[in-house]
Amino acid sequence: MTNEKVLLDPTSESTPSERSLSERPETMDGLTVGLLDISKGRGDIFLNRLEEKLSDSGIKILRFKKPTFTKPAPIDLRHEIASKCDAVIEALAD
Amino acid sequence: MFERSWTDGLPVVPPTTERVRKMLEGTTRPADEIVVSVPPNLIECTVEKIAINAVMAGCRPEFLPVVIAALETICTEEFNMHGVLATTMSVGPIFVVNGPITLDIGMNSGINVLGHGNRANSTIGRAVQLVVHNVGGGGPGGVDRSTLGHMGKQGFCFSENEFSSPWPSLAESRGYNSAQNVITAFTGEGPRLVMDQKSRKPDSLIRTLAEHLISTVSSRVVVGMDAMLVLSPEHAARFHEAGWTKERFLEEITEMMMIDTDNIIEGSNGIEEGLPTSMKGIRLPKFRPDGLLLVQAGGTAGLFSAIIGGWLNGPPGSEPTSKEILL
Amino acid sequence: MIASTPFEDAAQKQADALGLDVARVFVPHPVQDRTDEEMHEMADLVFEKVLDTLIR
Repeated sequence: MTNEKVLLDPTSESTPSERSLSERPETMDGLTVGLLDISKGRGDIFLNRLEEKLSDSGIKILRFKKPTFTKPAPIDLRHEIASKCDAVIEALAD
Repeated sequence: MFERSWTDGLPVVPPTTERVRKMLEGTTRPADEIVVSVPPNLIECTVEKIAINAVMAGCRPEFLPVVIAALETICTEEFNMHGVLATTMSVGPIFVVNGPITLDIGMNSGINVLGHGNRANSTIGRAVQLVVHNVGGGGPGGVDRSTLGHMGKQGFCFSENEFSSPWPSLAESRGYNSAQNVITAFTGEGPRLVMDQKSRKPDSLIRTLAEHLISTVSSRVVVGMDAMLVLSPEHAARFHEAGWTKERFLEEITEMMMIDTDNIIEGSNGIEEGLPTSMKGIRLPKFRPDGLLLVQAGGTAGLFSAIIGGWLNGPPGSEPTSKEILL
Repeated sequence: MIASTPFEDAAQKQADALGLDVARVFVPHPVQDRTDEEMHEMADLVFEKVLDTLIR
């Protein structure tokens, strides 16, 4: 008689499907980049500096802000960023 | 199972088919019913998955409805379990159970209530944490970034000493009736003792409690974080015997915890932490309205109570959340 | 995404769980007690890496 027992799996048993990122452009010409502030302290100061330097590089910057760093960005905000920007930089998690 | 990262570091009960089948007898809900979507990975979770983790935690079948209801409280936008997991603060979900079910399943609201030793208390909270880890993908070192953590994150669940108290229970204060079985989830840190072994008058004891509550989480944080006060029987008796209502207690302690912001502005008293200088010259309450949750529990000997500090409240943080327990 | 260094493995785990391998840049930790000048220096430190993530 075997002593083996079948155990049921307590996990999600799921494998996330690979999601592809949008194509990266070859140059910065005409690029619009969103800067998404996750609303943690000091992040705005960091992003202000990034905005300054990215703008000096010829990149158009749009600023966005999550209502709280403790939750994912609201869906409307995500849609707005996706519709207005070629890329988004999210900062600053600590 | 440990090597597969299925555990919380402690031994678990192997979830055999037979054990899970027996566990599912603890609820009338179908095994394939999707109950919640578990953060952080927002995975749909069936009654069966909860039962598997409940077996592993050491639950009895009659605890399963409480485990399910506990997950229904924390897997909500208002409780924000993702945020509670990801924070660097030392907090986790803390469950208070009210209603006749607490007696039916043998929960502890007395001696060592915030500690170990009672199977229902210990395993219900543990089962919830195992689901968050195994199904939701949230565990220490991953999404869980707590700097220090606390042992209650292994599972923290207790019942209230409601049946012999003249005051309404936590659930009743939150709109339920005494016949309903209710679970309330609160995001909190480890308990901190409040000692007062001399106050015989309620007016004196309430000042001790206020003095301690005012420094909850930080003496320089106001309004933005809630707290739970666990009032022991001997301390609660000071108020009951003097005819105080729960409402009076909360009104008076709230007034005692009004803070002059000049004393907690950044830089005051040589301390860099504090409120911005723009907030000088006003008075603010330590807690927002209804931000202090009062629960009665503990052994009958011991002039001590406990404070459990909270986390960010409101839409940016986590809200105390209650749900009725369905059998 | 930009985060401070102690969050490297958390970011990897989230990326794995979501099946989304976004570009990640890490800055020194801590952040909360930094002056404005220190925050600017931090941004300057990682600027080239950030630029690299935007184009192919």
